[in-house]
Amino acid sequence: MSGTSAHHARAYGIQAMLWGAFVTVVVASAPASAQRDTTRRDTTSRRTPSDSARIADSIAVVRELERLQREPRAENPGQQPQGPTNPRLLPDISAVGDLIGDLSPKGSTQEGGERFNVREVEVAVQAAVDPYFRGDVFLGISDLERISIEQAYLTAMALPWALEVRLGRYLMPVGKQNTTHRHDLHAIDYPYVIQRFFSDEGLKGTGIYASKIFAPFGFYQELILTAVDRFGEPTDGLVTIEPVNKKLSGLGYSARLRNYWDLSQASNIELSFSGITGKREQPVLGGDPTLGTPARQSVIGTDFTYRWRPLQQGLYKSFIVQAELMQQINEKDPTLELPSGVSPDGLLYGGPTRNFTGGYAFARYQLTRRGYLGARFDSFQDEAAEGSATNAVSGYLEFFPSEFSKLMVGYERYAPAEGSSTNRILLQATFALGPHKPHPF
Amino acid sequence: MRVHDIAVALALGAALVTAPLAGTSTAQAQLKIVTSTTDLYDIAKQVGGNKITATHIGEGYQDPHFIEAKPSFVLQLRNADVWAFVGLDLEIGWMPLLLQGARNPKLQPGQPGYVDASRVITVLDVGRGNVDRSQGDVHPLGNPHYWLDPENGRRIARLFRETFSKLDAKNASVYEANEKAFTQRLDAAERTWQADLAKIKGQPVVAWHTSWRYLAEYTGMNIVGFMEPKPGVPPSPAHLAGLIQTMKQTRAKVIVMEPFYDRKTADFVASKTGAKVLVLPPSVGGTKGLGDYIQLMTSDIHQLAAAL
Repeated sequence: MSGTSAHHARAYGIQAMLWGAFVTVVVASAPASAQRDTTRRDTTSRRTPSDSARIADSIAVVRELERLQREPRAENPGQQPQGPTNPRLLPDISAVGDLIGDLSPKGSTQEGGERFNVREVEVAVQAAVDPYFRGDVFLGISDLERISIEQAYLTAMALPWALEVRLGRYLMPVGKQNTTHRHDLHAIDYPYVIQRFFSDEGLKGTGIYASKIFAPFGFYQELILTAVDRFGEPTDGLVTIEPVNKKLSGLGYSARLRNYWDLSQASNIELSFSGITGKREQPVLGGDPTLGTPARQSVIGTDFTYRWRPLQQGLYKSFIVQAELMQQINEKDPTLELPSGVSPDGLLYGGPTRNFTGGYAFARYQLTRRGYLGARFDSFQDEAAEGSATNAVSGYLEFFPSEFSKLMVGYERYAPAEGSSTNRILLQATFALGPHKPHPF
Repeated sequence: MRVHDIAVALALGAALVTAPLAGTSTAQAQLKIVTSTTDLYDIAKQVGGNKITATHIGEGYQDPHFIEAKPSFVLQLRNADVWAFVGLDLEIGWMPLLLQGARNPKLQPGQPGYVDASRVITVLDVGRGNVDRSQGDVHPLGNPHYWLDPENGRRIARLFRETFSKLDAKNASVYEANEKAFTQRLDAAERTWQADLAKIKGQPVVAWHTSWRYLAEYTGMNIVGFMEPKPGVPPSPAHLAGLIQTMKQTRAKVIVMEPFYDRKTADFVASKTGAKVLVLPPSVGGTKGLGDYIQLMTSDIHQLAAAL
């Protein structure tokens, strides 16, 4: 910088400081001036109308500024919610940990035999994709299955006629509890009828999901139809000559009709009906043990839920009773589909040749703001015991330190159709990290 | 066809037969407004008058954080023109399920019918620094109980007037007149509160939850402690012991609480300190007779003054 420039810069700086000081003095004295103006109305009456208008405007501005200054509420005006709360458009990322302890007296009853286990960590990434779609991805991480896609679906948000369509992988809308994440259940495991008819982790499917709500009779109804790649997971160790879903009739198709009524402000009931059908691999006996053949299997069912929660004391009191009944309907005598060159002589269909029924009844009562007591009775016709009934009775004590953590202890008496009964003592701890999720209903 | 095929076909068929009955709605001239709380509902009614129909999801005596996302609420939202809510995550535990379930494009974020009333409010208790759940059930965007300041009531009314006028321009003059009338009634009521406000100003009180922060800012009452050690966390014995000491030192005479909390704990603290438990409705309809916003504010301020 030259000397002249430096001199000009200093002079400019001094000038700026003087102007700044002048402006500061004027601004600082403005409220006082305004106060004087408001108390000298008689003296201003001699001024011209235009002067009066200008002064009145100034007074109005100053009064507004004074009023704003008096407002003590502007604690942090720079962080008003008018601005975007997510300027980088990041998706919601959350994680749920599901920890299990099994203190059963005759050894662990867990799939992998663990006494203590991280059953699953579920990581969710959720956001609007664009104005038309929303995306939800749930990854499940467990010691047994490593990383799996629990759910990943695109939901169309801008469809006419109040339709909702999803594409991807999702919990199948069959039955009531199957639509709930396992860690959100009021018990530690899915009811046995779901475990046996579907899987330990419920039933998921990959395909298209369409739902519509309506109320032609004055109460809430929802119809959900799905078409999925197949009914359930492939049966381990069985190979069919062609995929079970080679024909469209082999895909999985489901329907669920929900009916919901408010009985009062505090109580309501839901009565719903579900069905799913598709082809699954079933064993062929008398030959290669890996040989399978497709056979149709369907499950139909109904579920009932009654809820009570008084509005004013809803933090402390609630009650829910729920029951589901399902029937698995099996194709009795399917045509064996065998590889070319394999003679059907001596081969027999080894899949189920009868229907099976199962269900559960569950109730949960809220003891305190954070404590709940639940009980469940399970019964199902066990395929492994030629349809004889396996029963289980269980009780649960839940404690919620907050909305984001849950501790549960459970006892179960499991009475299989064949063999001796077992006592199970289970512990569970779940925790949720990340954005506040809606409470499941 | 076998028995199970018939059963499945019947289930699918029954469902499909009822599907065409879906979505029967009748066009009505009035704007349909659904609000999350009774306070927003009442102000919307004051501004909308007979040009709107309005319903609300929560009741005034219910904890607005913990409303159940019942399917019947989805039906209310399905055909609504406006969804007005408090915001600042007050409804985060249930609103997303209802909006997603309603599938109403008018109520999606960014649409004129998606009205977050908090955007016109000067918010208190905005989260600073590192906010996490070790601080309780915090609202990082700020305290959402802002309707208990009459200035915010006016701002909400202004927001409703603007929203309704945008969606129903032909009745804009009606909405403007209604908002003006509401503001005048509120101004008139406010003038009658002055003696009560003078009694309240500077007085130490204890509150259960942070619901009363805006009322405290407005009235000048001094909240010296909360029954909850952290927002949403029930009081522990250790916290109550400290709170009792604080109340004795500050001579706090009143414990203000909402009707949806269990008052046994507050009664215990009151018995140890000689204080009075004042159950104040935080919302319209919180107790019988509080049918509108101005009545709510008048009643709460009067009860506070009488207790202090």
